[in-house]
Amino acid sequence: MVVTVTQEDFDIKRLIEERKNPDMGAMVSFIGVVRDDGIERIELEAHREVAVEELEAIRDEAFAKFPIKSVDIIHRIGDLNIGDNIVLILVGAGHRREAFEGCEYIIERLKERVPIWKKEYTKDGERWVPGKYH
Amino acid sequence: MMITVKAFARFREILGSETAREEVHEGTTLAALLEEIGRKNPTLKTSLYDDDGSLRCYIILMQNRKRVNHSEVESIILNDGDEIALYPPVAGG
Repeated sequence: MVVTVTQEDFDIKRLIEERKNPDMGAMVSFIGVVRDDGIERIELEAHREVAVEELEAIRDEAFAKFPIKSVDIIHRIGDLNIGDNIVLILVGAGHRREAFEGCEYIIERLKERVPIWKKEYTKDGERWVPGKYH
Repeated sequence: MMITVKAFARFREILGSETAREEVHEGTTLAALLEEIGRKNPTLKTSLYDDDGSLRCYIILMQNRKRVNHSEVESIILNDGDEIALYPPVAGG
């Protein structure tokens, strides 16, 4: 299982095939993608060591809360264009309910806690995407 | 003693780099360190403090990769080699 913050893109199809296991009846993936909000590109920045530690903690919480069997989390940083992948969360479980719940838990906590920031570049300039204060 | 200050996103831009080194006296509190870096960089000061001089509530502070509550900044005594990180609210995903 993988938890990483990286500049590299991911191959969702390959990861699903690698993770499939006879006791898994469900795999749920969330993929965050760069949306065209009138931007040209975005830049993602992380406090990398802490981001990985937080993601590992969130993964461990998901395992403790839901009867899931696998968790992979890949978050990208660096320069990304419209349509590029930002984040992948892949959860494998015996049944769909816990796979959906585990996946949702992880993306919601990621958005609250993991030290990653986005800057949007438009033809008129640049701006940091405001984070939510928790 | 030396303290490493790390700043990210908007704070990194204001500080001018991701990492800065600050020499402080023995017994310096985290609050005093923040005031000192604010004194050297007025833009950072405005970003860190409200008009009434209190730390802006949304700023995330870390000491050696662990979050610090704003209520603790006056009582935390820094140690040589500490790493203090300043974050705006996170916006990943």
